[in-house]
Amino acid sequence: MKRIYRTLLRLYPADYTALFAGEMLAAFEKAAGENRTRGCAIFVRFVIAELTGLVASAASEWIAKLTTDGSVRGRRLPDLRMMRPVGVPRELWFAGAGADLHRSPAPDDVSELQKRAALSVSRMTDAIASRDYERTRALSYQESREREKLRLLQQKPAREE
Amino acid sequence: MRPLTEPVLLILLSLADRPRHGYALMKDIETLSNGRVRLSTGTLYGALRRLLENDWIEPFAQEDASREKQAYRLTSAGRKQLEIELDRMKQLTRAAGIRLRAREV
Repeated sequence: MKRIYRTLLRLYPADYTALFAGEMLAAFEKAAGENRTRGCAIFVRFVIAELTGLVASAASEWIAKLTTDGSVRGRRLPDLRMMRPVGVPRELWFAGAGADLHRSPAPDDVSELQKRAALSVSRMTDAIASRDYERTRALSYQESREREKLRLLQQKPAREE
Repeated sequence: MRPLTEPVLLILLSLADRPRHGYALMKDIETLSNGRVRLSTGTLYGALRRLLENDWIEPFAQEDASREKQAYRLTSAGRKQLEIELDRMKQLTRAAGIRLRAREV
């Protein structure tokens, strides 16, 4: 029964599962243990209600995920895209390099980073001119990450010496 | 403001006196509703997710807390929502009582 429940938990969005799967499984196990002692009919009714409830709830969670703004959902649920993958150093990831792994290869030299930062500033100016403040914020964030990476890259040779 | 759904109202009521974790909430809600409402874990955690997003409840760190026994407690915003809902229900009950008495006369 636990195995079926665990399998059905995979129907939920990953950020939801990351936060609640352990708790849900623990609550289900306790409730199942208690209902088992109440008799066979009650236990079967409990299991059917739990499993159908799980499928219905997974569907509504997907709808909620697709229709809720990321900033609202991100208040409590973890953003899995921001989690540091195995093998990526902490300082590189939190400087924002990790986000680029999903898009393009990490830049390897200072001039490339300087070009990217300058390009971000130029795009930011255009975004401000067209009053697209959401894009401006995103570009500002991107530029600050590039500057931080640049700082780390420039520090590296100094440390090795 | 839209009235609260029954699971949400019962969860808020259950957390009104002290923080509770998932299974304790399920048990308490069954008691509060005289055995009429038995929330499945899917319904319970769906409602908890919405309440967390609205900042009506928040995680509560307990001494013996394992990840599977995360407790939740009401925030001041959640308590206010609960009070508003209870006022709405009281007003409705009063109005219903007046109507029923008038019918009897």
